Amino acid sequence: MTYLSFFKAECLTLFRSKQRVVNALLFFVLVVVLFPLGIDPSADFLAPAAGGIIWCAAALSVVVSIESLYKESYADGTLTQLVVSGLSLPWLILIKVGVYWLAMMLPLLLLTPVFAQMLFLPSDSLLVLLATLLIGTPGLFLIGSIGAALTVSLKQGAMLMVLLILPFYFPIIIFSTAAIKAIQFGLPYGGLLALLAAISLLALVVAPVMTSLCIKASVR
Amino acid sequence: MMAFDSVADFLQMGTHGGFVWSTYGLVLLILTGLILNTLQGRRKVIRQLKKRYLRESNS
Amino acid sequence: MSWIWFHKLGSPKWFYQWSSKWATAVFLIGLLATLIGVGWGLGFAPTDYQQGETYRIIYLHVPAAVLAESCYFSLGVAGFVYLVWQMKMAPIFIKSMAPIGAAMAAIALLSGAIWGKPTWGTWWVWDARLTSVLVLFILYMGIIALQNTLEDVTLANQAAAIVSVLGLINLPIIKYSVNWWNTLHQPASFSLTKKPTMPMDMWLPLLIAVIGFYCLVAGLAMWRMQSEILLRERRTQWVKEKVMNDGV
Repeated sequence: MTYLSFFKAECLTLFRSKQRVVNALLFFVLVVVLFPLGIDPSADFLAPAAGGIIWCAAALSVVVSIESLYKESYADGTLTQLVVSGLSLPWLILIKVGVYWLAMMLPLLLLTPVFAQMLFLPSDSLLVLLATLLIGTPGLFLIGSIGAALTVSLKQGAMLMVLLILPFYFPIIIFSTAAIKAIQFGLPYGGLLALLAAISLLALVVAPVMTSLCIKASVR
Repeated sequence: MMAFDSVADFLQMGTHGGFVWSTYGLVLLILTGLILNTLQGRRKVIRQLKKRYLRESNS
Repeated sequence: MSWIWFHKLGSPKWFYQWSSKWATAVFLIGLLATLIGVGWGLGFAPTDYQQGETYRIIYLHVPAAVLAESCYFSLGVAGFVYLVWQMKMAPIFIKSMAPIGAAMAAIALLSGAIWGKPTWGTWWVWDARLTSVLVLFILYMGIIALQNTLEDVTLANQAAAIVSVLGLINLPIIKYSVNWWNTLHQPASFSLTKKPTMPMDMWLPLLIAVIGFYCLVAGLAMWRMQSEILLRERRTQWVKEKVMNDGV
């Protein structure tokens, strides 16, 4: 096995189980729809809240769907194969998370303008929203991957995983929505995007190592 | 030197006595709970282990 | 500098014997200091010219808030120690400390809410500092849930250590957001390094209460760790002797 063959295999597995990604996207859509239904469908409420709603929906759908990232390969033993493959486990994890990020974020980024329109988000905020999603979500996926690895051996681990991981999403959500608010008030938002990038980079460095530690402890 | 002139003043705590005293009551409750939980946990472990050792030595 | 103490700390047996000598004394000192600090603050410290008597909640609120953060910091350090050196005592420490930290965060939140009502006019404000303590509380509960759910001890150790370290990385980010958001909450009223802004006879009982809380927590932590050591080392001879001879 090489890194390249692992990458190809990952893409193929994900393509064959595309329903998983579709489910996550449907979940995203449903959470977004909950807000106008549950709180207020008027533009007065939705326009300033749209960025936050989309971000909360994205974070929830990521944390819920990434829970099963390692489940299948843990059950059929391929995860053990990865550990003993002789390749560096953190890099393999990075590839796995990266493939999953691409598969889920590309359609989500395409969906976002549609929902931004439906939630009356001003068009100048849309670009910032897309930028925050692009910069911030790698952090969500990487941190989520740690949680997925922590609970991989549990049958009923979903709730625990959400409990553990969601608090770590707070800074990302705070800075993203703050950036969207900043543009709505005409304030500079570059610093906030830089902060988001910093968090994602930190996660990029820390998360694969932590995830590999959890996986090694789980598959022994 | 007390900061209050009388016991009634002390219990009154200016205008918001209820707030101050309910905080102190609540914290007392939580801390006592924590301490009792700690001591009880200790007793439970010792009881458990004792039973286990006795069972092992009998069998 | 000698590192012997560090290696000794890795031995549950050594720690058990060492802490048996100190736990009760530290706990009682803590209890005494807390009673003195809180009693002094409650009855003898002067009235605040702005908030009147309501400010006396500070003698519980600030120590609990300080401890909630310190406990989390210590968890993070222990998690780091476990990840690097696989030291046996670290997960025992994490498991024993998490409920104490959760209790401290709960005290800070509740006393803050009750304090907020008469001074700000609301029980709760979505300000960074309050929110970060709430997050801290949730993190503690998450670690407790993790310890209770994972049955495999090695995995539970590893998982708790990783979450603690992650939380430690997250703490400065939360702290930064406190400075960045400019809100209702007053800046930290208690600091050892800066000159106190409150008058001496208000500040001194607060210092005593904080030290008291530290000792209280240390004593409780030692007791909890002892129970955990007994449980985990139950297959060793020394634990068996200790339990059977009632020398606990």
